[in-house]
Amino acid sequence: MRLWNLQELKNILNAAPVIKGWVITQESLNRRERYFLMDSGRLAIDQDREARDFSIRLRVFVRLGAQQDRQGESSIKLHGDQPLEPQLKALLEAASLADQAIWELAPSPVAALAPVQGHDPAIAEDIHAAMERLTTRLAGAIAVVQGAQFNSAELFVGLHEREQHFSNGLTHRSLQTRIYSEAAFSATGSGISDEYLETRWSSLEKDLPIEELVRESAERARHMIQVAPAVAGTFPVMVDSEVLLALFNGHLAQLSGANHYHELPCLKIGDPLIPSARGDLITLHLDPALEGGADTVAVSGDGTPQMRRTLVRNNRVEALVMDQQHGQYLGLPVGVSRGSVVIDPGTRSKQELIESRPRVLEILQLSGLFTDENSGTFGSEIRLARLHERESGRITYIKGGSISGSIQENFADLGLSRETIRRCHFENGVPSGSGYSGPAWVLLSDVSISG
Amino acid sequence: MAHAQRIEFSKDLESLRSFLPSLLGVMGRSPDWYPSIWFERKLRRAFSASLKNTDVTHSRTAGLVLRIYDGRTLHEFATESLEPGFLIESARRFSDRILNARGTAVGPIRTYMAPSWTERLRGISEREILEQIPSSPGADTPVHFGIKYQKDPRKLADSDVIGQLKETLGRMRRTAQRAGLAESELNYAAARAGLALEESMFIDREVNLSQSLFRVSVTAVAMSGSNRTVHQEGGLGGLEAIEIPDQPIQDMMSDLHALKAAARIRPGRYRVLCSPDISGVLAHEAFGHAQEGDTCARGRSKAWELHQAGTRVGNEHATILNNPALFENAGKPWAAWGSYFFDEEGWISNSQMLLDRGLLRAPMTNLTSAIRLGVPRTANGKRESWANGVYTRQTNTYFSAGDKTFQDLLQQLGDGFVATQSAGGMEDPKGMGIQVGIAWLKEVRNGEYTGRVFRGPAGGDINLTGFVPDVLNAIEAKSKIEWDTEEPDSARHPWNDTGGCGKYHKEFVHAGCGGPWMLLNGVSLG
Repeated sequence: MRLWNLQELKNILNAAPVIKGWVITQESLNRRERYFLMDSGRLAIDQDREARDFSIRLRVFVRLGAQQDRQGESSIKLHGDQPLEPQLKALLEAASLADQAIWELAPSPVAALAPVQGHDPAIAEDIHAAMERLTTRLAGAIAVVQGAQFNSAELFVGLHEREQHFSNGLTHRSLQTRIYSEAAFSATGSGISDEYLETRWSSLEKDLPIEELVRESAERARHMIQVAPAVAGTFPVMVDSEVLLALFNGHLAQLSGANHYHELPCLKIGDPLIPSARGDLITLHLDPALEGGADTVAVSGDGTPQMRRTLVRNNRVEALVMDQQHGQYLGLPVGVSRGSVVIDPGTRSKQELIESRPRVLEILQLSGLFTDENSGTFGSEIRLARLHERESGRITYIKGGSISGSIQENFADLGLSRETIRRCHFENGVPSGSGYSGPAWVLLSDVSISG
Repeated sequence: MAHAQRIEFSKDLESLRSFLPSLLGVMGRSPDWYPSIWFERKLRRAFSASLKNTDVTHSRTAGLVLRIYDGRTLHEFATESLEPGFLIESARRFSDRILNARGTAVGPIRTYMAPSWTERLRGISEREILEQIPSSPGADTPVHFGIKYQKDPRKLADSDVIGQLKETLGRMRRTAQRAGLAESELNYAAARAGLALEESMFIDREVNLSQSLFRVSVTAVAMSGSNRTVHQEGGLGGLEAIEIPDQPIQDMMSDLHALKAAARIRPGRYRVLCSPDISGVLAHEAFGHAQEGDTCARGRSKAWELHQAGTRVGNEHATILNNPALFENAGKPWAAWGSYFFDEEGWISNSQMLLDRGLLRAPMTNLTSAIRLGVPRTANGKRESWANGVYTRQTNTYFSAGDKTFQDLLQQLGDGFVATQSAGGMEDPKGMGIQVGIAWLKEVRNGEYTGRVFRGPAGGDINLTGFVPDVLNAIEAKSKIEWDTEEPDSARHPWNDTGGCGKYHKEFVHAGCGGPWMLLNGVSLG
């Protein structure tokens, strides 16, 4: 039973002299999940679940008595079945103990916010029908696979409906859909067996190539049992968009106002993104309006309208990721702080990039990519790769060993593919995802490989 | 020492507890269905003090999961709404949907009925569990388990937590200078704390269980340039679990200073002495994940085949346990990070041997994987939150202790590296590969530290990789639980550190991992 409503909450917040600003985010989540496996030779559903959540999150900013240049901030998930007063009392007590330099939420926008498309209308209309449709596609794709054993699959479909209310009067409603799919196949031969797990997130059903994902998982499982060990040395290494999504989204921290303010490693306007760059030069945009992007939003959490912005042009930093808080602290213009990373494509095809070097190690999958956004370094065990040797035309599949790299060093002689792709990554409980749109592959130089 | 108490069940949850069993009747539409209910509530206070900001956040999350296992599929409906009318209607619609879909389901039916108390307590010997169960409990007996604590985290005011964090921050700054770092070289420092009360209930036709846990942690983070050192204390218990002594802060700062001059390791094979933290990650990734029953049931683990074949996959030092019933952590009076009294499917916690001197035992399980594999249930059904699905997950995973002191092992290492700070890991249950991340390595020559520190070939973390049986055959020696003394161990279990775990790339849960110091010979680092 709800004990209070949104308007009552707003009235209380507006009447409290200690509160200098607030943001209310209402979110309704509906998620369907299915886990598939083989049971007695047939595709079966091990678990079938539905989750529904409704939350109201309140973020407040309070004055701290005589400290004119400081303020408090805190947030809380409010519960409609609990009395409002004690929840607000606890929140204000917490906020009054917090301490940060003063800043203001964005002024109310003068023009209407530009519409953005961050959801799949068919999923939003009927999430259960979407799950049935995706299940049918998955089952159909699995049924036609030959030469590999289906192990398991998962399908998640989620619909997030959000409504943001700001103390400046701005109200914004948005929808986001999230789809997750994975498929694992194994292969056996010559007394050994191994498997390949392919995973993919997307926002739109049209961006989720289930059939390709299943086919690729099965095909790569067959290669997993015909591998050679990695040979230690330095190699030109080709990585795909899954790696690029993680690396570029992590590296955005060095372009952020937050890193500048906290004196963490950062780049300034005019700096080269990659020191000593001599290959294809990176032009990087942050695009909050990307259709089907993982972070497609019209307005940021501090009420700033979001628009696509070029952050790096031909390897030179030309703008920073700047929210209200850090823009005001640093005296720098506030701009884009949300969105998907968009990289301009190169002019060469994937095949041309591979043929540009005597030998190229193409990473098909890393076991667990760990990145350090402060140093720009990254590393992982190699789950599956293939070594292309130009002169002989030989391709050797590789498993094991590890890759160890650095954005500053190994992106210097870069090759960007002209083929492009759009990818998403989401994590449960995190409102914004990580998005990438750009070259489907890039060729890195002099990457350390251990055997 | 303060007197230890146990957390009582929150009184405001009693009416919900009384109501929930009625939903079993609504869901039990078929006599061969197994209905059950999981409820969780987490009340958390989070604090952070850095050189520029102080943050305080309170959060409260709660949700309930209605569950029906119909002999083929585990169906779940999860909601944040606890309103009785809504739950009754939801239970009705939920079971209707399963009834209506019956004709389309495939596969053999494996009926499962709620296990009795007798079945659930078979093999349980942990006194901390048995002491809290009344004699002859029945299906209607509310049985509550509370974690032991000495200093009640609920009684510590927000302002006092912030005061303590600022004191820690001050110690970090002073220690940095003593370690040789100029004030400008410590460009970021923060101390963070989390104080949570986690409560849950599991109800089926045979049991009515509840548990209340305090989950407390404190973390210190320091940075110089892009170099970063971290220290965390924590556990399930009172505030006594989160006191940071001076020594780890001194270690953090001297490591941070040493990292400024770190060299890059050349990829190759080396002798490495791994800290309990890193040996725990190795246990977790090697035959933790591979021994998860759902991974086995999906045909995705080699461990299942090797267990059935009786193939040896490691030497005599290769003994790995999983234990959610670690209510004392290496003799410290608080529970290890991955502990609980029962799992999220109502199975009572117990210690389990996963790998016994190189030979695999039966896997850990959740409900459906135990049914599919035909192996005993274990208390490993866990989920990221009530809104996520349940999988077989690890709790506290560790190597058994050995008989050496740390000094013995350092001498035995001779020339090689000591690894103290972990940097993630990744499993490969079918392919038997392994990835263990190490933040940096300290060089040792002739059994003594040289003062040189090494990072990865590109200046980042180092990855220990290899074929799992090769790595487990490379274990040369292990330390005692109390590795700094030659006296016999007084603690029952090795230390387990605070940590988190994903299932491949998602579904993040709390997990403890640890064990002894462990000496590995000739493992690949790059």
